[in-house]
Amino acid sequence: MPVGSEQEKHMRKFKNRGKDVAAMRRQRVEVNIELRKAKKDEQILKRRNISITPLEESSTSQEKKEIIQMSLEEIVEAVNGSNTELQLQATQATRRMLSRQRDPPLNHIIELGIIPRLVEFLTRADSAALQFEAAWALTNIASGTSDHTRAVVEGGAIPAFVSLLSSPHMHISEQSVWALGNIAGDGPLYRDALINCDVIPPLLALVSPVTPIGFLRNITWTLSNLCRNKNPYPPLNAVKKILPVLICLVQHEDKEIISDSCWALSYLTDGSNDRIQIVVDTGILPRLVELMADTELIVLTPALRAIGNVVTGTDDQTQAAINAGILAVLPRLLRHTKATIQKEAAWALSNIAAGPCRQIQQLITCGLLPPLVELLEKGDFKAQKEAVWAVANFTTGGTVEQVVELVQSGVLKPLLNLLSAKDSKTILVILDTIANLFLAAEKLGETERLCLLVEELDGLEKIEALQTHDNNMVYRAALSIIEKYFAGEESTDFQPGSDEDGQLNFSVEKKDFNF
Amino acid sequence: MELSDANLQTLTEYLKKTLDPDPAIRRPAEKFLESVEGSQNYPLLLLTLLEKSQENVIKVCASVTFKNYIKRNWRIIEDEPNKICESDRIAIKANIVPLMLSSPEQIQKQLSDAISIIGREDFPQKWPDLLTEMVNRFQSGDFHVINGVLRTAHSLFKRYRHEFKSNELWTEIKLVLDAFALPLTNLFKATIELCSTHANDASALKVLFSSLILIAKLFYSLNFQDLPEFFEDNMETWMTNFHTLLTLDNKLLQTDDEEEAGLLELLKSQICDNAALYAQKYDEEFQPYLPRFVTAIWNLLVTTGQEVKYDLLVSNAIQFLASVCERPHYKHLFEDQNTLTSICEKVIVPNMEFRAADEEAFEDNSEEYIRRDLEGSDIDTRRRAACDLVRGLCKFFEGPVTGIFSGYVNSMLQEYAKNPSVNWKHKDAAIYLVTSLASKAQTQKHGITQANELVNLTEFFVNHIQPDLKSASVNEFPVLKADGIKYIMIFRNQVPKEQLLVSIPLLINHLQAESIVVHTYAAHALERLFTMRGTSNTTLITAAEMMPFVEVLLTNLFKALTLPGSSENEYIMKAIMRSFSLLQESIIPYIPSVITQLTQKLLAVSKNPSKPHFNHYMFESICLSIRITCKANPDAVGSFEEALFMVFTEILQNDVQEFIPYVFQVMSLLLEMHKNEIPSSYMALFPHLLQPVLWERTGNIPPLVRLLQAYLERGANTIARAAADKIPGLLGVFQKLIASKANDHQGFYLLNSIIEHMPPESVGQYRKQIFILLFQRLQNSKTTKFIKSFLVFINLYCIKYGALALQEIFDNIQPKMFGMVLEKIIIPEIQKVSGQVEKKICAVGITKILTECPPMMDTEYTKLWTPLLQALIGLFELPEDDTIPDEEHFIDIEDTAGYQTAFSQLAFAGKKEHDPVGQMVNNPRIHLAQSLHKLSTACPGRVPSMLSTSLNAEALQYLQGYLQAASVTLL
Repeated sequence: MPVGSEQEKHMRKFKNRGKDVAAMRRQRVEVNIELRKAKKDEQILKRRNISITPLEESSTSQEKKEIIQMSLEEIVEAVNGSNTELQLQATQATRRMLSRQRDPPLNHIIELGIIPRLVEFLTRADSAALQFEAAWALTNIASGTSDHTRAVVEGGAIPAFVSLLSSPHMHISEQSVWALGNIAGDGPLYRDALINCDVIPPLLALVSPVTPIGFLRNITWTLSNLCRNKNPYPPLNAVKKILPVLICLVQHEDKEIISDSCWALSYLTDGSNDRIQIVVDTGILPRLVELMADTELIVLTPALRAIGNVVTGTDDQTQAAINAGILAVLPRLLRHTKATIQKEAAWALSNIAAGPCRQIQQLITCGLLPPLVELLEKGDFKAQKEAVWAVANFTTGGTVEQVVELVQSGVLKPLLNLLSAKDSKTILVILDTIANLFLAAEKLGETERLCLLVEELDGLEKIEALQTHDNNMVYRAALSIIEKYFAGEESTDFQPGSDEDGQLNFSVEKKDFNF
Repeated sequence: MELSDANLQTLTEYLKKTLDPDPAIRRPAEKFLESVEGSQNYPLLLLTLLEKSQENVIKVCASVTFKNYIKRNWRIIEDEPNKICESDRIAIKANIVPLMLSSPEQIQKQLSDAISIIGREDFPQKWPDLLTEMVNRFQSGDFHVINGVLRTAHSLFKRYRHEFKSNELWTEIKLVLDAFALPLTNLFKATIELCSTHANDASALKVLFSSLILIAKLFYSLNFQDLPEFFEDNMETWMTNFHTLLTLDNKLLQTDDEEEAGLLELLKSQICDNAALYAQKYDEEFQPYLPRFVTAIWNLLVTTGQEVKYDLLVSNAIQFLASVCERPHYKHLFEDQNTLTSICEKVIVPNMEFRAADEEAFEDNSEEYIRRDLEGSDIDTRRRAACDLVRGLCKFFEGPVTGIFSGYVNSMLQEYAKNPSVNWKHKDAAIYLVTSLASKAQTQKHGITQANELVNLTEFFVNHIQPDLKSASVNEFPVLKADGIKYIMIFRNQVPKEQLLVSIPLLINHLQAESIVVHTYAAHALERLFTMRGTSNTTLITAAEMMPFVEVLLTNLFKALTLPGSSENEYIMKAIMRSFSLLQESIIPYIPSVITQLTQKLLAVSKNPSKPHFNHYMFESICLSIRITCKANPDAVGSFEEALFMVFTEILQNDVQEFIPYVFQVMSLLLEMHKNEIPSSYMALFPHLLQPVLWERTGNIPPLVRLLQAYLERGANTIARAAADKIPGLLGVFQKLIASKANDHQGFYLLNSIIEHMPPESVGQYRKQIFILLFQRLQNSKTTKFIKSFLVFINLYCIKYGALALQEIFDNIQPKMFGMVLEKIIIPEIQKVSGQVEKKICAVGITKILTECPPMMDTEYTKLWTPLLQALIGLFELPEDDTIPDEEHFIDIEDTAGYQTAFSQLAFAGKKEHDPVGQMVNNPRIHLAQSLHKLSTACPGRVPSMLSTSLNAEALQYLQGYLQAASVTLL
């Protein structure tokens, strides 16, 4: 019998009764509702162009003079008129308002009803300046809320921008890339609308060795938005088209390009195992692991996320991440000063610990236990919670010897301390872990020693206190540990049960038997 | 029921009757209300009464009845009828909030509870306007109304503190936050402003502070699951105000009551909790505020008095500091030597002092005092909090802290030395300080297991503890005596053995102290010392070392049971048990007196058993007396029976349920001591043991089964001869037990003993019926546990009566039955049998079926021969199959509903494991090989051909190993 299946059978029998490994691996999203502020370290969904572009500075002094304040009424009139010069002036004035640093009047502009006209201007190959100004203005409107973006899309901007990607003027095609990025960033609906408009081929065609860095950054960002969002995921054939270019971009030396392409990979891996497999198959994992060791947060964060997603996958996919060297970089990330990095790293670790015992063994061999214990002891609470999961998975899937090693590395004290955490789920997971540890101890005949250890570390007192916890599952888990292992030395044996009524007459009637 | 005056009148009368002290009036009224509560409008009638009744007592009664009605009926349970009609539900939800808010406080509380019960089911989906309705009331400016709303909100939201994160829960919280967070914040700010405008109006302040407490509690609930965006954005507002409130004092809010915490204390205590929540969970965001809170809380501690009413506040505040000071990145807040000194001096030392309230408890409520002090149920006390802070600080600053405290300990001891009778409390504090400083890890079983190396425990023991215990009067300074004894107890692993030996006579001496705490501690300390392990698995303190003290120890222990307040002292009784167990045969000379005292005690407590632990140790002590004495002199069993049977009879006659399981165990022990035929005194009791009523109580079943087994082991022949008419009753017990999924294994214990010991002819007529019963159970409700026991039984039967007899009786019940059992039960399930002896029985039994049962060789059963052999080899070689079908997990849990007295097993009445095949077969594998060899000689060629055609290769290899080991070959 092959060793692997024997071990799996063994695990099913003792430890994971009722649980299977797939359920132990925890995907990124457990709860869709967030109470917290949107995360500060997420990639930006939409951006407004507020920079002073070189074009503006190179504009002639004559043009500058012409920057006269136009009222909203004048703008509407000019835009709807047929004088190209006035159209340009009005569009420029609009764009300028939309580009100011503070409180751009997005709603006002939308209410003017000029968006369809601005979209029309995108097609005005006769006036590159008008095309550009309109593209810029629309980019900034699309950078607002979903309502704002919708106004642009419903004005018919998507096909116009897609065809502008192939504009002979680089600054126009760049602005279009940007606008499309904003539209894609709105969500899966518009993302797929873009993909259906065949945005990908002209967009990818813009990537070449001579593309200027700034432009390339915009393209990478827009590509990442095309990979982003779930429910539904981006269509597989689109992903397959984008992926080879992303793999090249990840090799670039510009940090922003690396960052955005890593974000794209993190979105592509944030899904079912077959989506993870597509990324694994590109052979990019070693590069991602290398980037996890980068000192820059903008690179490190998305690289860690992508790899973190990969290890939620199958045992083989996790093994691919291990082979790419993830275990060598994790210790440093577990000790990172930034709490969110600690947390992501611990989450990845917890998913590796959910694997078969040969992977758990690698985790031990690569020295992950000391940083794990440190994190449990003094990490940020969010990271501690993940570390608790890591320990729980370890004790569920590890062999008795591996569990012994875990205990010897000092996990018990910080684990028991966290029983006073203010989070019911964490407490329950710790209690389950303690129950696992006792199962291992029973096999070694070390139950009594573990009891003493738990008591010495003030664990008993905490478990006892949890018997009055308001959460039923917590209280029952605590009670069961106390009854099973700490019920006192002259153990009292509670024999439950009730009898059916009946006389103690010995009598019987024969029937036919068939078992 | 219509909403009519007549119905209101009727209801009023019945409600009034439910308050009547006479059950003859009260009960029927309660029954009536229960009978009408299903009617439409009933809840609305109650609401009308609680609002409009002329009599206040009826209003209150209606509100309580209403709340209980809601509690019982509001929830709609799947597949059960809706117990409240829909129109009533709508009317209740429409009216209850304004009604609650306009009611006086007593009724408001009931209605508020009712709202939260309804809210738990209906909020938010089925009660969408509740939140807006509540929030709108914040504008009212009427704080009676506002507090009603806040209280209701608190009871609705407090479950956020313990429930698991889920989409459903978080959606609700988000909804609540969107509607509630901003108005709550505004209310918070407005209330604080009002507090300063009304700073001189005591009654206004009281109302406002009640609001603030509720607001602070709501803050805790709303922030528990995660840090909401709103509160992160408004952290400045909340934390600045919390901080101000922590430092606030107002003479008008101070209370004269020493015991009960006032509003100010409750508020500050909740704020400490809120700060601790943020510090633990949202450290990153809270960091800028934390140092301010540390300073404020520390100042609070320095300025707060010793009164009991501050206890919760002080212990919460100290716990906050303790949790912060262990964090590496806040280390710097405590690092400074002056800070440390000041924390030690002003926070820790004052809170370790022995207070008037402690002294009171020591004298008047010793049981509670002991529980707190000894068993660690002191979690919320100041001393405990101070102790935790010491341990927290020692994590980074062990050296400096030890240094600072050493100075304090010395000066406190000097104070004591100057005038012990006045300054004894200083010494108490010094001992407490040393203890908390020195103990790093502790267990009940071993005391302190890790100590601070900077403290010289032995020196302190010799210089400051022993002198107190050596003093001539055992009753002087009882608190210090208790401290000293406790010191020995907890540091028993640190203090060298020779010092412990010196202490033993001192402890024995203190068993005579009048103070309950002191003699209890002395008994407990002795018990703990006697359980310490020495080298090579012996006790640290040996019986030989105890020789000089045996008499005085036993005398003082039993005398201590006569001291006022200690007649059922479990610590003393446990010490008696432990002393017996340690001293073994040295106690024999004292047994006559000991057993007299124990039986007298037993007689006395059996009138009204109230201390389960005491009783348990008493029976353990009785068992020990019997075992130790009878080991040296088996004939002594008679004198025990003489001493005990009278009391036992009384217990059985008076049906003292708590003691009956113990009595059966002691009787089993006594009966097993007999070497010869069963005495007639036991036989006289035999019929009574079969009475159905005894078997109704689950707690009786295990010890009774054991007792009947003892009867069968010692007296099977006597029963067959003199009590044959009782055999059906005995089998009736078996039949009853076998019918229960929880007790069937006990039924098999009994049946196995019957088969093993009863003369075959005495049970011959019942054998067939026994099997039919078992088959019925197998057919109707088969469980894994049942199958395991069944397999052991049929194999035991096979060993006793032979394989052929087994086959014949099966096939006699129904043709081909034997084959069906082999094929459907034995072969597929044998792997599940657990236990050494059980497996051995099955192995020998199956070997017999394979080799001593001719039909296996030459009928249609032959096809089962190899599969059976394969299964047997599997039993030898494969790991046990411990899978249990899912639905069986819950059998025991479901059945606990009706259990009465739990069965308490006595450790010292233990039964040794019995192996019925013991001598017959030593190694079952070899036995299989030899038996096969014998079979093959009888029919040469058959066995090898059966093996080679269908036994799998792996099994065959194992089998060849057995044959080799047995040095036999198959022909």
